Amino acid sequence: MDWFRILHQMFFGGLAAMGFGVLFNMYRHHLLWCGLAGGLALGVRTIGLQLGWSLEAASFAAALSVGSVVTVLQERIGVSRNILDVAGCIPMVPGLFATKAILGFFALTAPVPKNADETLITSVEFFLRVAFTIGAIGTGLAIPSLLLRVLARKR
Amino acid sequence: MGNRQAVMEIASLEEIAMLAMEFGRILMECGASANIVDEYVGRAATGLGAERVDLRVGYASLAITVGVGGEGITRMRKVGHLGVNQRLGQAVRGLVRRLENESLTLKATREELSRLVKETPRHPGWVVDLAVGLACASFGRLLEVDWVAFLPVFGAAALGQCVRRQLLHRHVNVFIVATVVAFLASFLAGLAARLAGSETVDKAMVSAVLLLVPGVPLLNAQYDVLGGYPTLGNARAVWVATILVFLAVGVWLGQIALGEGH
Repeated sequence: MDWFRILHQMFFGGLAAMGFGVLFNMYRHHLLWCGLAGGLALGVRTIGLQLGWSLEAASFAAALSVGSVVTVLQERIGVSRNILDVAGCIPMVPGLFATKAILGFFALTAPVPKNADETLITSVEFFLRVAFTIGAIGTGLAIPSLLLRVLARKR
Repeated sequence: MGNRQAVMEIASLEEIAMLAMEFGRILMECGASANIVDEYVGRAATGLGAERVDLRVGYASLAITVGVGGEGITRMRKVGHLGVNQRLGQAVRGLVRRLENESLTLKATREELSRLVKETPRHPGWVVDLAVGLACASFGRLLEVDWVAFLPVFGAAALGQCVRRQLLHRHVNVFIVATVVAFLASFLAGLAARLAGSETVDKAMVSAVLLLVPGVPLLNAQYDVLGGYPTLGNARAVWVATILVFLAVGVWLGQIALGEGH
């Protein structure tokens, strides 16, 4: 386990989440929670990747962790769950893959595309990776709140 | 007499419906998912005196039916640009809780809601620019952009956010803004990273435009589908996909200008 790498990813994941927290107009005293959520997400995802999991599985585990912790602590923190867990998971949104997939599709429409087969396979791979990772993050975040709603109805 | 009472009930239902939808409109525009909007509009309408509430949450409009006794009305209203504003969203939810607990009158609730919209503070623009720059530079580190490209990504993304803020303030179309900002940020980040001797210029160019990736609508789209609002979820997903295409066009133009990539 590369602990330096895990700490590095947690630090910059937290920083990215805090930056987006400012963009989302969060209160200054909530930004720290935002950073912790981002750090937790990147920590769990990096550990998962180092254990040999796929990006999608690691992202799902990370989002589930953030969603669960935020759902449990939201009353104490006083931040809306919706925004805090989204801000925490923002650093995991695969924007690089999404952009590269679309750029790859653009390249295929050139009059004489270079390495068309390879470009197509790579672009489709990136596209699928984006779709599955986003699906994993969204589902991981939604499960704790949906379970909480079921429990609240039973009470 | 009976007729007058009926007119008063209808007027009062009208006010309840419109004020409850005002709560919904603001929550939508603050980045809330459909479930949250439905819950808080229902609570607001009930707190204002409605006995039955049914809400339809659309991408660009809300429709509500409220009823008291045998009377009921249905009203609809437009929703503006769906942004993200956590402080205002939280304050509006707090007002719904106050409405339930303190039995505020309709007039007092409306005045308080207007006050919240006018007075809820925002971070200064330059603070947001710097924070977004730092977030994108951090994204860059997560994507293994080398250290020499850290400052170029920071500067280009902060400038990109500043330009985005100015253009949106002037009501320029949000998709056009995405392309302009993506071109500017990716070009500047790529140029500065190259001059600094970076070996990850292509990743630096993409990192600088990640401020444009609409994360909240993207995750809300899934919340909405999973929460039983597939129409709204799909509308959000289409909007996100369109933004990503316009973003990619900007990066593509930036790559052509710098002679990078395809």
